[in-house]
Amino acid sequence: MNQTDVIEPIHETMEEMYVNMGPQHPSTHGVLRLMLKLDGEVVTGVTPYIGYLHRCHEKIGENRIYTQVIPYTDRLDYLASMYNNFGYVLTVERLMGLQVPERAEYMRVILAELQRIASHLIWMGTFGLDLGNFTIFMYCFREREKILDLFESVSGQRLNYSFYRIGGMPLDFPESFLTECKAFLEWFKPRLPEYDAVMTDNIIFQKRVQGLGKLDQKTAIDYAISGPMLRGSGIKWDLRRNDPYSIYDRFEFEIPVGSTGDVWDRYMVRRQEMDESVKIVEQALRDLPPGEIMGKVPKKLRPPAGDMYSRVESPRGELGFYIVSDGSEKAYRYKVRSPAFVNLSVLPVIGPGHLVADMVAILGSIDIVLGEVDR
Amino acid sequence: MTAEEIIQTIRSQFGEAVKASEVKGVEARMDVERGKSYEVLVALKGMGLDYLNCISSVDRIASGELEAVYNLSSLNEPAKAMVRVRVPREDPVVRSVVPLWSAADWHEREAYDLMGIRFDGHPDLRRILTSEDWVGHPLRKDYQDERLVPYEPA
Repeated sequence: MNQTDVIEPIHETMEEMYVNMGPQHPSTHGVLRLMLKLDGEVVTGVTPYIGYLHRCHEKIGENRIYTQVIPYTDRLDYLASMYNNFGYVLTVERLMGLQVPERAEYMRVILAELQRIASHLIWMGTFGLDLGNFTIFMYCFREREKILDLFESVSGQRLNYSFYRIGGMPLDFPESFLTECKAFLEWFKPRLPEYDAVMTDNIIFQKRVQGLGKLDQKTAIDYAISGPMLRGSGIKWDLRRNDPYSIYDRFEFEIPVGSTGDVWDRYMVRRQEMDESVKIVEQALRDLPPGEIMGKVPKKLRPPAGDMYSRVESPRGELGFYIVSDGSEKAYRYKVRSPAFVNLSVLPVIGPGHLVADMVAILGSIDIVLGEVDR
Repeated sequence: MTAEEIIQTIRSQFGEAVKASEVKGVEARMDVERGKSYEVLVALKGMGLDYLNCISSVDRIASGELEAVYNLSSLNEPAKAMVRVRVPREDPVVRSVVPLWSAADWHEREAYDLMGIRFDGHPDLRRILTSEDWVGHPLRKDYQDERLVPYEPA
């Protein structure tokens, strides 16, 4: 089916049926409406309708000074707020040519990778829930809670941290953080095999997701898919390695890839990425240097006139910010390229040909956050 | 392929249609006339820049123009490109790049919805983020929603 075929809701034949999945549906993880075209129980067409959570984030960004936008970026992908902060401050720093102190860079990486683990945990838990595995949901939320406790000890917040600043970090880690973080990692590492026992090695789960929603490499590049979805299709592409930002070129880690690009591959990529994030956090904790945490930043931020597109590898893929500056204190244009928005656009290609119940699994494997899709 | 080589190739191929160009790190930036924007993007895709990162839209109200910005990169080499196309506000039409990249579909719908740039040849140019009956294009600098009372700080 063509990606842009609009499904007309009125049809008089008996064979075809149109069903609304959402906007209020437990498996859409937010307010997403999918119009499904059904032939019996087989989906023959999917049309996503988005925008239910649109709040004109970009217009707000044009009407606030640069520092005031940071709290708004938290609300984009609210399961990975640290990463949105990271991407935004990095773009403004590149626009202004600011240097960030060593220690702040390490703090950023530690928090960002913990955030990636937390985000993947939420994904894994809710994905299990979509498929009827309630146990993994409880396990994942238990671990995520500990990460949130760590974030709370650092920033005072549990969900929307607003903790990165243009030019550095606002506060140093509290004294107890390093020991607590190490203790968490030691506790977390043996938990990963537990997930494998509940999910990965579960033959019912395997049979359920293998071969579903296949995305081949050509289509993935055509649709500019990024993140674990792209790697699930077997393309070894990770901005942390291929277009390194911050200090990611100093760490050793693997880039897990899949082979066929089905739901199972995407699951395995995210599952293995948690192992790699643990490795990165451990290396960063080991090398964390003492020193300043805030660089030299002018009181009033006025980036020179010009524009900049810069991107980071968020837990969902390539999170890009495009900022046009006219030399004033506010951005002239502020645009967010959200990975979930782009990744969701491929659903009309990978969705058809599966059962309605499998649509839930395919949608879950894209890992959308509607705050980021709708902006 | 370096940014300098990209600009050199495009300039020799399109001459006057490239109004300005600049090299910033590994990124080749160029301002292109609207009549040749599609051909330039075809040429860039042919050079290996086959990954469309983003299409943004900017309201250049001072000069009475709207701008579409294409960010391209490659999954095989570090080269990047940024192509800017300006169109007059009275006639904001650019040729759609959906035939080149399916990823452009939603990006162009978003630029149409929020900025009002029309993409000629787009198979299904509908609003995407606002509702179907929305009036106006909210990201334009002169957009005014009469239902909203402006906030005046005391």
